[in-house]
Amino acid sequence: MRAMGRGREHGSSILVAALSSAFGVVLIQVTGALSFMISADNIGRSTTVRMMLAIVAFVFIVIAVYVGSIVTVNTFATIIAGRTRTIALLRLIGSSARAQRRAVAAEGFWVGVVGASIGALAGTAMSIGTVRIAVAQSVVPDLDYPLFDPLIAAPILIVVLSTWLASWVGSRRVLTVSPMQAVGASGELSREETLSRTGRNLTAVVLGVTGLLLLGGGVLLGLISPLGILVGMVGGMLSFSGLILGSHLVMPSILRLTGRLLGRSASARLAAANALRYPERSSRATIGLVIGVTLITMFAVAGASYQDMMARAQAAQPEVYQGVDKVVAVTVAIFSVLIGFSALIAAVGMVNNLALSVLQRTRELGLLRALGFTAKQVRRMILAESTQMTIAAVGLGLILGVFYGWAGAQSLLGAQDGVGVIAPSIPWLLVVLCVVGAAALTLAASVSPARRATTVSPVVALAAD
Amino acid sequence: MEITPSELGLVARVTNLTKSYGSAPNTVTALDDVSIGIRRGEFTAIMGPSGSGKSTLMHIMAGLDTPTDGRAWLADTEITAMGDSELTVLRRRRVGFVFQAFNLVPTLDVRGNIVLPFELDGRRPTVVEKDWIEQLIDSLGLANRLTHRPYELSGGQQQRVAIARALATKPDLVFADEPTGNLDSRSGREVLALLAAASASYGQSIAMVTHDPIAASHADRIIFLADGRVVEERGRSSAEEISRIMLGMEQRV
Repeated sequence: MRAMGRGREHGSSILVAALSSAFGVVLIQVTGALSFMISADNIGRSTTVRMMLAIVAFVFIVIAVYVGSIVTVNTFATIIAGRTRTIALLRLIGSSARAQRRAVAAEGFWVGVVGASIGALAGTAMSIGTVRIAVAQSVVPDLDYPLFDPLIAAPILIVVLSTWLASWVGSRRVLTVSPMQAVGASGELSREETLSRTGRNLTAVVLGVTGLLLLGGGVLLGLISPLGILVGMVGGMLSFSGLILGSHLVMPSILRLTGRLLGRSASARLAAANALRYPERSSRATIGLVIGVTLITMFAVAGASYQDMMARAQAAQPEVYQGVDKVVAVTVAIFSVLIGFSALIAAVGMVNNLALSVLQRTRELGLLRALGFTAKQVRRMILAESTQMTIAAVGLGLILGVFYGWAGAQSLLGAQDGVGVIAPSIPWLLVVLCVVGAAALTLAASVSPARRATTVSPVVALAAD
Repeated sequence: MEITPSELGLVARVTNLTKSYGSAPNTVTALDDVSIGIRRGEFTAIMGPSGSGKSTLMHIMAGLDTPTDGRAWLADTEITAMGDSELTVLRRRRVGFVFQAFNLVPTLDVRGNIVLPFELDGRRPTVVEKDWIEQLIDSLGLANRLTHRPYELSGGQQQRVAIARALATKPDLVFADEPTGNLDSRSGREVLALLAAASASYGQSIAMVTHDPIAASHADRIIFLADGRVVEERGRSSAEEISRIMLGMEQRV
């Protein structure tokens, strides 16, 4: 029974670890195969190409692992909140808080090992399959491609370690559980405190402001020299880190805003309040998706703006820029797909967060049913919560992505002849895709928790912890 | 022609109610052929030791659970024949609940919790209902707590909010499940006095499930349950008399 519960709790963390590790393995294997192909063709330049491909692959792996870690930290924090009573009971019997936290971290370690192994197997199978299909279709020459690239050990190891670390960070709250909570009468969880974080808040604000200033500087410098991109990039990274660090300051207000859009019915208002109940939890749940959507949008907008500027520059000097736009379009498409994978991981995290938060509210949902909430109203409430979180995350991601993408293109190319300052070009296809994706995600996230919330009888739910 | 419960002066009635769990041979019988009536306008206590079936009885009478056999009415409506959505609307409009664990919605403030039954019904309280709610808020001493969240209140205050929520819609019947179980004795006495006053001054019918003789001594009438059967029925009694009956029940077993 216990083990089953654990399996369900950790299912999504294992999935996240598996996705990250499969992604890493596929990237390494495919770039490995690519450089093997190139080296068979042209021996002299192979090491440089190999290294460059590996570096690009690692950048994307690190982004995916980073998003995955945020998701896992959040999942573990949510699981711990749900286990408060059990942890308190063990503390009451005499277990130390440290021992409890170590136990949670050990679970995290195994989640990492299991997930990374599954991902490694799936990723290897997928990359071998891809290469075979490519050979069969005569897209690439039939060579004796290496089956295993020793480099795949790196992403696997990174995933295990980052999952372990994430579980350790996410289990911080174990230390604050008091043994007295085991004997407490009501099952309500204490509110998570978000205010007493002066150091972190200050860092977030300083990073954000400095980053924005540098970014602005980069855009201005870009009007004179393409080196503006370097200043802009530092500014972008700093300001975005500030946003992630300070997500608990930013996300609640955005969630509040989107909550208002839901209307004034009882289900909508309860949903709006629920999404804001643990500001830190919903911030963490949504920030992953914000990062994913921001990065995709940024690449797409940068690419489109870049093409725009190229068109202008080309008009000024046609012979210099021949054939460039095609290369840019392909690069942007590949980058978007690779980043899209991180967004997928973030989406898994959000779905899971909503499911867990419904699971932990069994008793409250039972109360609402007892007081006369119909099953339909409960479903509508959960759908509204899911809508609110998705709109907030995707909306913010789109806005940030447009801004960063524009700033990037502007700081790189503003100095070209005939370019100057241009408005960001927004790839509408991407916006449509994001909206469709968000709608699908909203539904997907609410189906299983809504079913669970409406099938439990009120009597059973009211008796739950 | 059947006699309706209201002609008997009853607000709720169950006949030959049986509830068993599990399948033979491991059947557990929580209620065994129980027939009782709750009188309109009275404060009735349903007493019994743990496992006597009193909570199950309350759950069935409130439309939260279904019996294995037998029938149940709320006023003149037979609820044992109703489906889930009809029962949901019935609970929303005609039943009030006060629980042992208070069970307020943590994201709503005091006023939000009190008007929740109206919101669930998708409407605003009428002028008359608003006056009534204000009167309840005053008499329960919640006037200066209206913007507080449940976690900012003491247990006794939370239970008073729950009582206001239960009384707000003027339901046919308020069910109170061990309403003093989580309270210190002073807050417990206050809560019981408030329930008794609601019944005496507003004619609110209340059914309270409890195993505490002191709590039961505030009721107009006490029904004793043991092992799923009604074993005794009394009018208003002192805590000592009730304890004696309970001890007597223990010895008979």
